[in-house]
Amino acid sequence: MKTNKILAIILSMFFAIAITSCVEDDDFSVPNATGNEENAKLNDLLAKIDAGTVELQTIQQVRNNFVQYEAIQFESEIAVKGYVSSSDETGNFYKEFFIQDDPVNPTTTLKVVLNQADTYNQFNKGREVYIYLKGLYIGETNTGDDVVTIGGQYDDFDSDVLEMTSNQISNHLFRSSITETLVPVELNLSDVSESHIGMFVKLVDVQFPASLEGQPYVNPIDDYDSSRPIESCSESATFTLESSTFASFKNNLLPTDGKGSISGIINKTYDGYDLVINLNSTEDVIMDGLRCDPLFQDSFTAGNLNNWTTYSVTGAQEWYYNTFGNPSDSATMSGFSGGAVQNEDWLISLPIDLSSVPSAYLSFQNVKRYSGNDIEVFYCTDYNGGDPTTDGTWVALSPSLDTNTGSWSSWTDSGVLDVSAAAGGNLFVAIKYTSTSSAAATWEIDNVKVTVE
Amino acid sequence: MKKSFLFFLFGVFSTFTMLAQQTIVKGSVKDAVTNEPIPNVTVTIEESNLTTQTDGFGQFVFNQNLPLGEQILKIERDDYQAKRYPIVVNEGKTLDIQDMTLNIKIDNEQDLFTITLSDDELNDDTSGADNISGLLSSSQDIFQRTAAFEFSSSFFRVRGLDSDNAKVLINGIEMNKQDTGRPQWSNWGGLNDVVRNQELTTGLAPSAYTFGGVLGTTNINTRASQYRRGGRITYSSSNRSYTNRVMASYASGLMEDGWAYTIMAGRRWGDEGFQDGTLYDANSFFASVEKKINDKHSLNFTSIYAPNRRGKSSPNTQEVYDLKGIKYNEYWGYYNGEKKNSRIKEVVEPILMLNHYWDISEKTKLNTNVGYQFGKIGNSRIDQTGGANPSPAYYQNLPSYFLEDGDLAGAYEAEQNFINDGQVDWDRIIDANLTNNISGSYAAYALYEDRNDNKQFTVNSILNSELNQNILLTAAVNYKKLDSENFAEIIDLLGSQTGVLNIDNFSQNYFDENNPDYVAFEGDKFRYNYNLYVNELSGFAQAQFKYNKVDFYLGGSITKTDYQREGLYRNGNNIIDGQDNSFGKGDKLEFTGIGAKAGFTYKISGKHLLDFNGGYITKAPSIRNTYTNSRESHDYVGVRNGENVPEIDITEEKIASVDASYIFRSPTVKARLTGFYTKIEDANEVSFFFTQGSTTGFIQEVLAGVDKKHFGAELGLEAQVTPTIKLKGAASVGQYTYDNNPYLYINSTSEDFLVQNDEGNTDILLNEVTTSNMKDYRVAGGPQTAYSVGFEYRDPDYWWFGATANFFDNAYVDVSPLARSTDFYTDADGLPYNDYDPTLAKELLRQEKFDNYMVVNLIGGKSWKIGDKYIGFFASVGNLLDKKYKTGGYEQGRKADYRALRDDVALTKRTFGPKYWYGRGTNYFVNVYLRF
Repeated sequence: MKTNKILAIILSMFFAIAITSCVEDDDFSVPNATGNEENAKLNDLLAKIDAGTVELQTIQQVRNNFVQYEAIQFESEIAVKGYVSSSDETGNFYKEFFIQDDPVNPTTTLKVVLNQADTYNQFNKGREVYIYLKGLYIGETNTGDDVVTIGGQYDDFDSDVLEMTSNQISNHLFRSSITETLVPVELNLSDVSESHIGMFVKLVDVQFPASLEGQPYVNPIDDYDSSRPIESCSESATFTLESSTFASFKNNLLPTDGKGSISGIINKTYDGYDLVINLNSTEDVIMDGLRCDPLFQDSFTAGNLNNWTTYSVTGAQEWYYNTFGNPSDSATMSGFSGGAVQNEDWLISLPIDLSSVPSAYLSFQNVKRYSGNDIEVFYCTDYNGGDPTTDGTWVALSPSLDTNTGSWSSWTDSGVLDVSAAAGGNLFVAIKYTSTSSAAATWEIDNVKVTVE
Repeated sequence: MKKSFLFFLFGVFSTFTMLAQQTIVKGSVKDAVTNEPIPNVTVTIEESNLTTQTDGFGQFVFNQNLPLGEQILKIERDDYQAKRYPIVVNEGKTLDIQDMTLNIKIDNEQDLFTITLSDDELNDDTSGADNISGLLSSSQDIFQRTAAFEFSSSFFRVRGLDSDNAKVLINGIEMNKQDTGRPQWSNWGGLNDVVRNQELTTGLAPSAYTFGGVLGTTNINTRASQYRRGGRITYSSSNRSYTNRVMASYASGLMEDGWAYTIMAGRRWGDEGFQDGTLYDANSFFASVEKKINDKHSLNFTSIYAPNRRGKSSPNTQEVYDLKGIKYNEYWGYYNGEKKNSRIKEVVEPILMLNHYWDISEKTKLNTNVGYQFGKIGNSRIDQTGGANPSPAYYQNLPSYFLEDGDLAGAYEAEQNFINDGQVDWDRIIDANLTNNISGSYAAYALYEDRNDNKQFTVNSILNSELNQNILLTAAVNYKKLDSENFAEIIDLLGSQTGVLNIDNFSQNYFDENNPDYVAFEGDKFRYNYNLYVNELSGFAQAQFKYNKVDFYLGGSITKTDYQREGLYRNGNNIIDGQDNSFGKGDKLEFTGIGAKAGFTYKISGKHLLDFNGGYITKAPSIRNTYTNSRESHDYVGVRNGENVPEIDITEEKIASVDASYIFRSPTVKARLTGFYTKIEDANEVSFFFTQGSTTGFIQEVLAGVDKKHFGAELGLEAQVTPTIKLKGAASVGQYTYDNNPYLYINSTSEDFLVQNDEGNTDILLNEVTTSNMKDYRVAGGPQTAYSVGFEYRDPDYWWFGATANFFDNAYVDVSPLARSTDFYTDADGLPYNDYDPTLAKELLRQEKFDNYMVVNLIGGKSWKIGDKYIGFFASVGNLLDKKYKTGGYEQGRKADYRALRDDVALTKRTFGPKYWYGRGTNYFVNVYLRF
């Protein structure tokens, strides 16, 4: 009985102690925002800006301090504000990010290099960032590459700007609580220039070459960076998508089944020679239109006329492959051989399959030298390989032709010639050259293209 | 006063009863305070080899081979002070000595140590070290007690063997875990009062319960009727692992209605132990109820519930210790002003047992047990799928990383940052997740737990039969079934609302192709998910023969074990060339283990004994050393990516062990000298790490067919030089080495390791099975040489103190087998490096031997008797001289090839030097208790 009482006392004592003696709990009560220390430092900087002890400059003003091949230290009390345009979430950037001067219609940018991986989870895309510049450096991380960069140190051997150290990051790089949505600058491939470096842009009306079907973003043979060409649907210009071999999307396949847009950051190749675009994420590659590949294309770079039938109706001279062209290689015909010779020569394409398209348009470039007859251009659907004067129901087209017979470089676009009537079957394109015994011009034909649109 | 009491007793037993011709000595033992009979008291007639134990009524009988004339009768039990009684044995007479009394050993040092040891053990899988002390602490043997109490803080291993060679049983049911083969001490941690009834057999010596391992067997008896009636309240304070402990227990003893119960509750807690940020939070509950149905049958039910949480501490490189000291722990960081540890081990595995005791006859007993254990083990850590490595001691944060590039300014800054901060930055982690919420990106970090949820059912029957006075037969059958669920579960998203995409960030493969694009939130499983099923059926038989001059025994066992894995995820990394190797059930692996052992004791005289034991055991490898990457695939040793690895078949591990001892026993001096030899063959060692040489990635390293040789000698010596002063000494000198060059192969699903072969299929780079030149390297795991000398002073006035000096040497770093294989000097094309220098290589691969060291420990206490209650106090100071010493360490596999290692070693500070554990500096433990 007595022991039971003691026991009861002991047990109640014990539980009292047990309940009150709690150790570190395993729950994290998470605040809505952390980084108070960082906020305090930002507020401090903003107060100084308000008081005028620190001058807030635009990115353009800051860039004015840049001298190529040099790393220049900021010695005055200045700060700069920008919006993060790049993201290393996929590992395509490493220990760097870009800022641009405006979330919409930006005009200029800066690169920031820092000793911190996975910056995206702190300096996320669209984040408003202030950089207190005094003591930091402006220059290039790879001198001569023209990418204007803010860093924390420099290499006295080659004046490369080096990463901010972790201490510099916490004392110079501050976030505000604002994250803006960046509106990409829409550009055609030919519009891209050095002024876009670091900017979040959208390349429109582009596609990857069909030959890359089944290929990943990163070519497995590459060690560091991997290039993939981009072609324009509306221009002859091309561009390069460059991705890191450390990017998480490196094994994802290139979307080659359509055309569309690619948004990303304009940057320089490692050697500083070429402009490229780097992705923040493959979600920014949107290929939702029909591809714009030509149904037929010949720039004669193969060094022959294998895509064509040449038929000499009259005269000894014939269409031949010529190493000159625009820019090189062409199909060429001249009736001149020690003097003008009478000729009729046809250059007829092999059948072009239009069975699955609703429309088709022909274009080519031409140049004329010396006086003589103009060429004539025809198409038909029923040529069988015989004498074109009797074989085939030829329909004449009206291309623009070169009229400057004094130059080899007055290349003239034919204009877009509608051959949609041939849609649903085979198309034959023919260029008919004629010369007389008194006048024989030389015609060069290049960049023949038949497209759907 | 004590002496006069003895003489008084000597007078009492002069009650001779005449009985035929037989010479008999019998009697009983009871508690001096409570007058309760004490069972399991060892009664010995000194100078003879006769020994027996008291039964449940405290009674004992000797009726064989009694020496005549004046003898000394000794009665002893763990928790009581031993007593010696002079007696006179007359031929043909019965000597009946009723009601000898024993006093509780109030200065019970065992209390102190078993407590702290089982507390420490919680840490064992963090430290990789393995502590046998919990097993040995109840031993009567001076060497083993020294190993338990003085050597344990150095992670000394008896005979250099892992504790999976020792079996721990509770009421006849084996508690060693299938996963590692080791006992999970924390399952009954903090229940010291009620796990004190232990029967220990050491080495191969026969146990009354099981065949056992080569290091011995401990059976913890929780039968309610076996506890002495009374209660106890204890409070302790320490800076070792917990700060505070309270415990209370009460036992009813066997009551008149045939019922007995014992209950206990305890709590241990603290914000940190010796290492920074190692919180401790453990509760313990115990209840045991027994009903004695009749003289033949008794039924006991035991339940044990000891949930505990413990913050882990990190091993560190020497560079880190030099900057932050030996208490440094990289796993914690301040959060809201509190130290919060990212790696917490939580063990909640209640045990339920029903035991039936059937005394079929006076000579034959059948004990049938059913046990069920269930619950979870969770180890937390930070998932970093979208963020920089949060480890403050990550190599890129340390000065050595900057020094490698000659960046002195960077090194200085890193050093200052690490000294001034150097802890987990929880604010940054949570900020990263909040930032990702804004951009809609998946969580950069999450806190998750690696879970191991086991359900184990065991049933067995143990028969003990005395065939005659000389022969004792023991036999048992045992069946065990384990269902183990293994998975990772997010326990805290750390502010993220976007969740964690279930994808392998390195390979960009989904962890579960059956459920791609799955996003895990708090409480969700992710990363891996599989079950393991184990069945084990075993039988065991043993005969012990006791004769005047010789005791000997023979024992044998057979065990059928099968393992099977069932993948619940279709792991994207393990679909190789379209073949899935992770989902559904894998191969059923079957093993047959046999055991045979024999030994004898030759009694030259009562003082001098010789003891010999020999045994051969084959056993299934532990689960951990069977499956090579169970989280991701069905692969096991000998099967890689679902295909057989040439030359390697998984097989039973084989252990052969012999020992010989000389034992000296006199009333004042006890000594034992043992020589031992153990050979282990066909063991496997599976390990995982990130390597960064000519090829980079996560690999599994499989070492198969490992042979090890352990031989050496142990000495234990104890001398009662005066009635109050006892001198103690112990020594262990051994040589534990690898004894062959085992097969080594690696597996990896990391890209750098995967190549296309000529047929266009995927192959593993370095797919050759090579050997690792491990022969004659020392087996890591504690010092191979250890000495202890000490004394105890026990004042008749119930106070005492003692001191020991312990000297340790020949502890070695755990070497990287990969760096000892041909992969070390071959380039990615399979040819040797063109700058390979064998002389330098030999230097690089030399095994690091840790400095020897001496640790001094003090202990002292006092107790008071107040009425029928006792109050006791004691305190101990460990490592009095604050010696800093390494207890273990391992070479990092990260730089496992010649060039990488050469370049790393050439640095002024190594970036990837070995990681070490250090022993505790000066530490204390104080304890007060009330017993009633």
